[in-house]
Amino acid sequence: MRISKRRADVQALLFLLPFLLVYFLFTIWPMLKGVQMTFYKWTLIKKMKYIGWDNYTRMFQDQDFWASIWHSTLFVILTTPTMIVLAIVLALIANRQSRLQKFYRSVFFLPSVLSVAVISFLGLFIFQPYTGFLNSLLHLIQLLPADREVFWLSELGLSWVALTLITLWWTVGFNFILYLSAMQDIPDDIFEAAKLDGASNSQMFWSITLPYLKPITKTITMLQIIASFKVFLQIYIITGGGPLDKTRPVIQYIFQAGFRKNDLGYAATMSYMLFAILLVLSAFQYWLNNRKEANA
Amino acid sequence: MQKKYGVLASALTLTLMLSACSGGNSGNSGNDGNKGNEGSPSASASASSPAAGGVTDDPTGGEKVTLSFWTLFSGGDGDNMQAMIDQFNKTHPNIQVKNTKLEWGEYYTKLITAVGNGNGPDVGISHTSRLPDLIDQGVVSELDEVASATGVDWNTFNQNLLNATVVDGVHYAVPIDTHPFIMYYNKKLLKDAGLLGDDGKPVMEQSADGFVNFLAQLKEKLPSSVTPFALSNSNDDPYRLWWALYSQLGGNDVVADDLKTAALDADKGAKAAQYIQDLFTKGYIKKNDPDFYKNFQSGTAAIMMTGVWATGTWESTKGLDFGAMPIPKIYDQEATWGDSHTIILPVTKKEDETKRKAAIVFANYLADNGAIWAKAGHIPSKPSVIESAEFKALPNRSDYASVAGTVKFSKPSTKNWQLRDNVSFKFLNEVWAAKMTPADAMAKMQAAYQKLLDE
Repeated sequence: MRISKRRADVQALLFLLPFLLVYFLFTIWPMLKGVQMTFYKWTLIKKMKYIGWDNYTRMFQDQDFWASIWHSTLFVILTTPTMIVLAIVLALIANRQSRLQKFYRSVFFLPSVLSVAVISFLGLFIFQPYTGFLNSLLHLIQLLPADREVFWLSELGLSWVALTLITLWWTVGFNFILYLSAMQDIPDDIFEAAKLDGASNSQMFWSITLPYLKPITKTITMLQIIASFKVFLQIYIITGGGPLDKTRPVIQYIFQAGFRKNDLGYAATMSYMLFAILLVLSAFQYWLNNRKEANA
Repeated sequence: MQKKYGVLASALTLTLMLSACSGGNSGNSGNDGNKGNEGSPSASASASSPAAGGVTDDPTGGEKVTLSFWTLFSGGDGDNMQAMIDQFNKTHPNIQVKNTKLEWGEYYTKLITAVGNGNGPDVGISHTSRLPDLIDQGVVSELDEVASATGVDWNTFNQNLLNATVVDGVHYAVPIDTHPFIMYYNKKLLKDAGLLGDDGKPVMEQSADGFVNFLAQLKEKLPSSVTPFALSNSNDDPYRLWWALYSQLGGNDVVADDLKTAALDADKGAKAAQYIQDLFTKGYIKKNDPDFYKNFQSGTAAIMMTGVWATGTWESTKGLDFGAMPIPKIYDQEATWGDSHTIILPVTKKEDETKRKAAIVFANYLADNGAIWAKAGHIPSKPSVIESAEFKALPNRSDYASVAGTVKFSKPSTKNWQLRDNVSFKFLNEVWAAKMTPADAMAKMQAAYQKLLDE
């Protein structure tokens, strides 16, 4: 029995070997190499120079780095709650018995299939002054006087609004689908029982639908936080990180250090810092979930 | 949201094109002329003979060589370069130049990595402003020996352009052009405002007040839908204007000669910035214009300023009657922003002397045939080309060719592009938006320059 188990292990290993090789070569090895890079001054072409912890001390003193971490955090704060609310609202609309059900589902999901570059350029066309869609619309319904323009992309507060709206529009579809499937998993008899007891629609929503959506909300929150922390291209294309680098997310800062300043060692250091932050966040979330379940 | 960052490269290219100096699509207007030349090699030979002087026609000694050439040109620039290469290959049967067109946004990164691992090209392109960085990274080789071996005469080049490519007394590049910041004007609109002279040039006093008066009259006399002065509200072009005015005031770059100390002349910088900020706040420049090229191109802007590469674009625009001139002398001395395309010989694994000789003869040939290159708008790097009948036959170019002597190049700092992109743009953009005073911006720029130079 013992022998055959060992044989099974060996067989399993043999089957796993091709994958493990590739995995080691393209994931594990670069990760280790990346850690090594953080201790070196490395441009693309010159010899690597060992500099000890210099990259780390520099990072902890680098105000621009922490500012960009804050911008990414702000983006998470702006997009995560709004995303969840919007996704639930859209899922509720699409979940109603209606002839337009299929239409809703495809329309809400449609933007998600576009690439980030397409979305960003559409964003530029929507928000640009004079000829942009939004300002023209505001002029048309006379919410905005004809001789005035709203500069969505050059005012700091407004550019955050624009970036948030574009990102929501683009990514809400995926979360909407998750919520929709979760809603359809709620057994109908619960609603029937509630109706017989004379519960109103809003009572049913707050006491039945929402509690049932709790597990998926946790998952979505976590996915959303991680995805939002990695935000880069839509900001890079739409505002370029401006005005005054005040919308520059941390990924853009890392990108600039690595590929504009050819300072790859420092860029690697900051990447691992971001990794550490995300790891701590995920661990915290995991711990929070487990604790609650243990209490329940 | 998972893998959507994969499109990074293509989108980056798109964005970077916005700041690319050869980004203007210069149209294909030059092609017919080029083909005419190809058909008659004698014509091109005569065009190059006066400047060619003692340059050998057969640097390889009968040996056949193939040169790989990496370029970053697209649009009209790309077509003109290919025409020059085809012509060279035809007239130099022993040398075959193979052109590899790379995307502008990826060019330098690819060049640096390729040279680093020994797979670089035999010939490459560099902007003058980018050259110090390439020298520092060990990408480009010295040219003095191979130049004297083939008889390439440095004296035949415009010395202002050439000197910007010489570092510590060593030649590293062969400049083929300069593409400075100049002014374009819409003749029809200027005429409507009564500001076009009989010579077809703007009626304007060349002074700080004179230029503002000129704009004030344009604003007053033309319909309100017309922009007096089309200029972008951020990044490159207003920065170039600032650099020009700062240099006109006698400002000498933003780094000291040691290239380690930030040396922005805050008074001059602030004065220049204030002047431009006023143009924005007084409404001569349209606020946050989404596309100032289009604004001028569609005939709704009286004047505009940008690099000479726009000339080709305007020429291929139907119904646009425009003129070109150096930017006005607002302050004490004539100066403008500018950069050059240069030919470099990247460091290669085995330094093949024959190939290097062939390469420098090719580089010199490109400079000698600047009249073809000028079709996109660039100013040739050799005075003899500017004097040639072929160049003079091109409209508009001669009106601004003199600018080659007054371009104020940046000092050979390895961080030129970073200083500009990461510091100057950032703070000056705030000044243009009237969110920061010029003096405040200068103080912040000085500190940020120093921080960057210390890194």
